[in-house]
Amino acid sequence: MATTTTTRADPGAAPVRRPQVRANRFGSPLRRSQRVAGYLFVLPTFALFLGFVLWPILRTIYLSLTAWGGFGAPRFIGADNYTRMLGDPVARRALIVTLVLTAVTTVLLTFLGLLTAVLVNVVWKHVGVLVRTILFVPGIVSFVVSGVLWKLIYDPNIGTLNQVLGAIGLDSLQHPWLADQTTVLPAIILVTIWGGLGFAMLIFFAGIQGIDPSLYEAAAVDGANPVQQFWNVTVPSLRVVTGLVISLGLLNGFKAFDIIYVMTGGGPNHGSEVLGTYLYSLAFGSTSGSIPQLGYASAFSVVTMVLCTLAVIAQLWLTRRADR
Amino acid sequence: MTAPALPRIRRTPEQGSRPFRFPLGKSFATFVLAPFCVLMAFPFVWMLLTSLREPNTIFGGPVIPDKLTFAGYSTAWTTIQFPLHLWNSVWITSVTVIGVLVFATLSGYAFAKLDFPFRNTLFVLLLTTLMMPATALIIPLYLQLKTLGLLDSQTGLLVLYISGSAPFAMFLMRAFFQTLPDELIEAARVDGGSEFTIFWRVILPLTRPGIATVVIFQFLQTWNEFLIANTVLRDTDSLPLQPVLFTLMGQYSTNWPALTAGLTLSVVPVVVVYVRMQRQFVAGMMLGAVKN
Repeated sequence: MATTTTTRADPGAAPVRRPQVRANRFGSPLRRSQRVAGYLFVLPTFALFLGFVLWPILRTIYLSLTAWGGFGAPRFIGADNYTRMLGDPVARRALIVTLVLTAVTTVLLTFLGLLTAVLVNVVWKHVGVLVRTILFVPGIVSFVVSGVLWKLIYDPNIGTLNQVLGAIGLDSLQHPWLADQTTVLPAIILVTIWGGLGFAMLIFFAGIQGIDPSLYEAAAVDGANPVQQFWNVTVPSLRVVTGLVISLGLLNGFKAFDIIYVMTGGGPNHGSEVLGTYLYSLAFGSTSGSIPQLGYASAFSVVTMVLCTLAVIAQLWLTRRADR
Repeated sequence: MTAPALPRIRRTPEQGSRPFRFPLGKSFATFVLAPFCVLMAFPFVWMLLTSLREPNTIFGGPVIPDKLTFAGYSTAWTTIQFPLHLWNSVWITSVTVIGVLVFATLSGYAFAKLDFPFRNTLFVLLLTTLMMPATALIIPLYLQLKTLGLLDSQTGLLVLYISGSAPFAMFLMRAFFQTLPDELIEAARVDGGSEFTIFWRVILPLTRPGIATVVIFQFLQTWNEFLIANTVLRDTDSLPLQPVLFTLMGQYSTNWPALTAGLTLSVVPVVVVYVRMQRQFVAGMMLGAVKN
């Protein structure tokens, strides 16, 4: 094997070899072994992917066009689930809450992430390391832990938030935070920011570290003050990174489930219902009575998938535009 | 808002010529960051303090308890079979990490360095579905396990975990493999090594940082996973920690020390791994950021 390749590769290299491979169906022994190995290496992952990613996606799309309680055969009903969605006030509410939650968290995470990253880059090195760790730790605990923790903090009777408000004389601001439709969403957004800020900050921080220092030196020579340097060097250099933070924010917002499920279950009275919690309760929960509505729930899965695909397209668009 | 160039400029003067200049930018930045840190750290401090309280003192009493007790921990440890669920989490997470690693290194290497027909088609197909969240797929995944008779079994959960995570880990590993020079593999081929030998003996030892990144990333993700575990497992004894903590919230709605003790215990492994492998984690994230 070694001899054939060396003799073949030595004289004319690429121009000679290419046509030969095309002429011979199996290629050279070397390329064939590479081909076999390539397929064998990819096969396990691809098999799992087909069975547990691609097939489920296709099945959801099909199920969303049916009415099905989980037993017997699904009954094909065309787009009825989607028209039903338009007339369902809870569905409309869930879509609006999902979009509001996504928009607000994405904007806040982008802004606060950039702000903290810039500041962390300015402070003394050891302070920076400490701050980075503190900001990041909420992001590594599970949504269940952070959800339960904040639910206790928000507790109307003995929750720390109300106790602190009472202790500093602001009794009038005490509130059943998660039981009121007007405050439940801001309360959940705060928890989402709490969990996501560290990640956004770290991405921005990595981006800032990657900026060529000579750009700042050039700007300083031209007489730019620190604020001008920020707007004219830092911000433009971070466009790709910003696109990444934005698209991650969109993605995490569209797929929101755990924190809301743990803290409110979508309540009170659907006040914090998002697509994820609504489809879950339709399929597995009790709101639909005893019969799961798998077809209707699948329609929400499809909506979620479409939104997530849009987020990925946004990411490709945001990051590519900056490259060229 | 002071520009990031300042630390570079200031570092030298600090050591010598201008020692008395007040570091205005740094002080201001620290001043602004302080409230963020307090807000971010407060829930954890509160969690620790509450877990050390006596069960009947949460309704009043000082913010910092005057008497600390581990009663909450012993309640959490014994009455909810904490060791059992901890063990479930540990072994489910370990098997998932190993499984994902095997699948992701093999396929990531093939996509990065081996030449075979339809390589790009397959890769794009894997890539397009990379961001599909479990929230959207939970219904068909549940049905899939039901069809296979794997519902309510940890094996079924493992299959879903590994298949759901392998494509993303493959993507990460591929980025690492791409940084290795082709000449290395060519040379090994000329020496007559089989493709698998090359992969195993030559390539894998060079990708330790990549492997470390995938390990920590996967560990955190699997350890913290809630939705799938809570949906496909019904038998209480087979549950990992996250669904148990969720049910604990209902059971111990008034015994906050026991509840927060359970939360604290579940967080310890995560914090330990994060602190020990912080560098790889940050490196992996930067790679992911650059790559994306």
